[in-house]
Amino acid sequence: MRPTTRNTVDRLDKPSSYAASKNKKRRFNRDRDHDDEDPYRREKTPDFEDKLREATTLYVGNLSFYTTEEQIHELFAKCGEIKRLVMGLDRFQKTPCGFCFVEYYTHQDALDCMKYIGGTKLDERIIRTDLDEGFAEGRQYGRGKSGGQVRDEYRDEYDPGRGGYGRALAEDLDRD
Amino acid sequence: MMDGVVYYDPSAAHITNLFKSKLSIQDHDHVKHLNPGVVEPHVPKAPRNFKTPISRRATVRASRLDDPLASPSRRAGDYYPPSYATAEKDPDTMADDDRRGGGRGFNNNNNRKRRFREDDDFDRRPQRRRYEEPTSAKLRRQLLTIAESPMKQPQDEAQEIARLFAEYYEEGDDKASFLDLMVQILTEQPFKIPFAAAVVLYTNESKPEAAAEIFTQVASKLQSSLDSGNWRDVKLILRFFGCLQVLFEGDGVFPLLDELFDRAVDLQVASQEDTVGLELVKIILFTIPYIIASPAVGFGQRAVELLAKTEAVASNEHALAPLVEIYPGDSDDRPFGYQSIIGMLQKQLQNESEKGWELACIPRLFAPKPKEEENGDDAAPTSAKHAFPNITVPSPINPGPKPLFPDAYFSLYADQDVETVPKTTDIASSLLRDVLVDTINILDFNRNATAKFLIDMDCYWAPDTFIKRATPFDKLKDVAGDKSTWKPEDMAVDAVFSQIFTLPTPEHKLVYYHSVITESCKIAPAAIAPSLGRAIRFLFRHLDLMDMELGYRFMDWFAHHLSNFEFRWKWTEWLEDIDRSDLHPKKAFIIGALDKEIRLSFAKRIRETLPQPYHHLIPEGKEKDTPDFKYSSDQTPYAPEARELLALIRKKAPEEQIQEVINRIHDQAAAHDVGDVLIPSTDAYVTAICFIGSKSLSHVLSCIERCKERLLDIGKASDAARRQVIASVVDYWKDQPGIAVNIVDKLLNYSIVSPMNVVQWALGDHLGAGEALTQSWVYEMVAGTVGKVTNRMRQIADARLERGLSAEQIELIDQHLLKERESMRELFRFIDDAVMGIATGAADGFIERDGEKGFGEEEGKLIKAWGERWARVFRRKAAVEESIVGEAAMEAKVAALGTQMDVEPEAGPDGNGAGAALDEDIIT
Repeated sequence: MRPTTRNTVDRLDKPSSYAASKNKKRRFNRDRDHDDEDPYRREKTPDFEDKLREATTLYVGNLSFYTTEEQIHELFAKCGEIKRLVMGLDRFQKTPCGFCFVEYYTHQDALDCMKYIGGTKLDERIIRTDLDEGFAEGRQYGRGKSGGQVRDEYRDEYDPGRGGYGRALAEDLDRD
Repeated sequence: MMDGVVYYDPSAAHITNLFKSKLSIQDHDHVKHLNPGVVEPHVPKAPRNFKTPISRRATVRASRLDDPLASPSRRAGDYYPPSYATAEKDPDTMADDDRRGGGRGFNNNNNRKRRFREDDDFDRRPQRRRYEEPTSAKLRRQLLTIAESPMKQPQDEAQEIARLFAEYYEEGDDKASFLDLMVQILTEQPFKIPFAAAVVLYTNESKPEAAAEIFTQVASKLQSSLDSGNWRDVKLILRFFGCLQVLFEGDGVFPLLDELFDRAVDLQVASQEDTVGLELVKIILFTIPYIIASPAVGFGQRAVELLAKTEAVASNEHALAPLVEIYPGDSDDRPFGYQSIIGMLQKQLQNESEKGWELACIPRLFAPKPKEEENGDDAAPTSAKHAFPNITVPSPINPGPKPLFPDAYFSLYADQDVETVPKTTDIASSLLRDVLVDTINILDFNRNATAKFLIDMDCYWAPDTFIKRATPFDKLKDVAGDKSTWKPEDMAVDAVFSQIFTLPTPEHKLVYYHSVITESCKIAPAAIAPSLGRAIRFLFRHLDLMDMELGYRFMDWFAHHLSNFEFRWKWTEWLEDIDRSDLHPKKAFIIGALDKEIRLSFAKRIRETLPQPYHHLIPEGKEKDTPDFKYSSDQTPYAPEARELLALIRKKAPEEQIQEVINRIHDQAAAHDVGDVLIPSTDAYVTAICFIGSKSLSHVLSCIERCKERLLDIGKASDAARRQVIASVVDYWKDQPGIAVNIVDKLLNYSIVSPMNVVQWALGDHLGAGEALTQSWVYEMVAGTVGKVTNRMRQIADARLERGLSAEQIELIDQHLLKERESMRELFRFIDDAVMGIATGAADGFIERDGEKGFGEEEGKLIKAWGERWARVFRRKAAVEESIVGEAAMEAKVAALGTQMDVEPEAGPDGNGAGAALDEDIIT
């Protein structure tokens, strides 16, 4: 394969800028440990890329809190058999909080899902998919202050599918 | 620094000027009325190269202005920047990228966040000073976007690129990336082949050696594609060479076509089932029109001679052809019969030769002697000629990575009263379809780009090939005389559906084609949606004649599509059909589609989208998240024991306690003379599991996991009890069969039930008088189970074709292969017997009910037809598998293994980063 090969149009099965920015930080740290003059530095593949090269798991975001596993399964199985589906839960209430992990049996199915399902609708919301390095226990919980996802803390738009206004914001409103 | 101009600020003076100059040359009413003040922020493409003389933009062809994007009425949401398809949006980052030799892996391209359909692309960009764009970047950008803009004359673009390349060639650095791009654009964006060819034709005028270097590069790609059996690339590159015929000495492309034809004949003679030879002939036939339409003259006769030779192969009906018919049977009501793509093309080419090779749709882009050229004395007709690159056709031919099947032509709109797409006798129907389908299948890695190509398709053909985009269907009858009434959106929709309805399977997962339709609808709803509506009506009207597997694909697409568009459909159109018997294919479609919609959403929501008369089709039960536990009622036999079981499983009681309750059920059952006492106990046990797991898929799976040992033991003890496991799951989830299908699928993975159990249950225990055959979820369950078996079969076959296996390994795999193949055949035999029993009316269940009340002649006929439909589908599946993993097929592949040792695998289209794992079975 020629090193310069890239497609004439962007690919939709690459990790998102979010995933890539995580990558950048790590690479930066690593690079500092190395000799800056090492001409072969670029050849070394960061762990992150390695993990995603074989990734069979997808992070799925912007789900409604009310979307069920069955609905997710129905849609995502169109790209291949699903090995595991982990619903994202509110850390405290243990209720769905709008994201999940979908694991396929093959990397190709995960890529296809990026290409064909990411950015389409489920339960009438446009969902987001991103390649993920794999589920680990604990990651199913929201990391926001109140237990859900961080993005639901300060959202100032009303989103009925995701608990109305941001929770922190709603608290402030209540106090007033 | 240049002049500090802010290039992406729409209020900058030069853009305003440019825009005014555009407006001044437009002669269409709707454009005249444009209010520049409103339109400005929506400049479809902020011009980046301001050195380009504005006058060049003033020569816009009228038809190109018909772009609906130019219409003031377009919705803001419909807007898209026309060149988003390329990564070249920002020449500055591009240049950086190049300098660093970047572009590998997950690059630093921060375009990501602001790609596609964002109006503010150009506005919010941090404004920075601009340096002159390096020629390499400019060349890349211009070649990539050639013909995309309706505001430019493609000839001019081609000339400009040729001029730049010739200059750049002189300077000599890094030509390679441009040459690579040239090759890549041919195989990734086939719409642009004639335009890329025009660039080469112009290049040859001023720099023949530069043109020659392009040939060399393209030829080496052709060679590697031939070697690896990548037939699509071979076809596309030959097309490119065909467009350049005039540059070659002697007969140019023809000798290579002759050689390919000889190979095709050899292959055809060697085997009745050969499809590779057919593919070669198809390639030849698709090359001919581009040669004839090229500036080369005097090859008409040569083409006619070749056509005379190909006729025998092309008109030959392939043995597998009857299996891939879209509307099988011989009813007069069929919308169309089987026509092979290659047979159709052969006839069209012959017609066209008789009409003097008009080939009106192919764009002609090359005028040999551009008048304003500096050396006016240069006599153009004598432009330099080259020897045709040396290409070796490998022997034996590598059949390629994918099994090939005969292609059936499919069209929703062709040959109807109003000609919205070319007639099937018109060569344009094949030429347009071919490029559309290739584009769709090549660009699966960016459905937005695919959709954009579909919408912009009219840019890539001769002017006036189509009517203005989004012209309403009922306006077509007002079109005067000989003007085209071909609707570009009909062509696009037709092409996508031709893939969804490809048998045995299309190139990509079906959901890809769904997503292309969704994106097209999002980009240009006013154009696509009405065409889609007509497509749905056409398909629904002929549903009872359609191959059943395709009917199912239609249903699955329909439900998925609606789920992306608020579930809006004009259900009132089908009111008559809901009074039909559930056995009627149309009614079965409606029931199945509603079930699929509900699976993607929920019952209450779907009911809201339906007119009142449909409501009874969504029973109350569908709204229940947790179906009742039937043993809650003491009316149900073994109710107390089952409730006890439920409590024990729930609290994870030890197995002995559970066994104790099960024993009690067995005792009672034995006292009631039940033959297999495991059946009632299994029913209670599995129903309890379902009830406990009703909360979600994960719940039921973890519960099954816990109870796995006992479930496996049940299976070992009694086959009937294994089928009872399936029966209990389906019974518990009878109102939401999708969940049942899912759970059964997982039970197969645990080997708690076998594929044969599933089929025996579905087409045996559950068959009844054949009503089961009308239920789409039964088909889903059976087809899914068969798919699991055949997938596994293919995996074993692939393993056998790995290189470097030891003798023991080979023997082990062969044994495995033998065993699995036999059980696969047994499965197919069982299905065939069961459904043929219904088709012929010989099945016991059918005979019992025949003539009963509510099961008269009409119902009998409907059910028998279902039997036939099922038989067809599974006979095809069986035949397809035989052609891939049958003894004969495997022997041939194993034999071929040895001869292909030297051929290097070639990087596929996914040569980039994330998709790189794909060279897969190119060699196998």
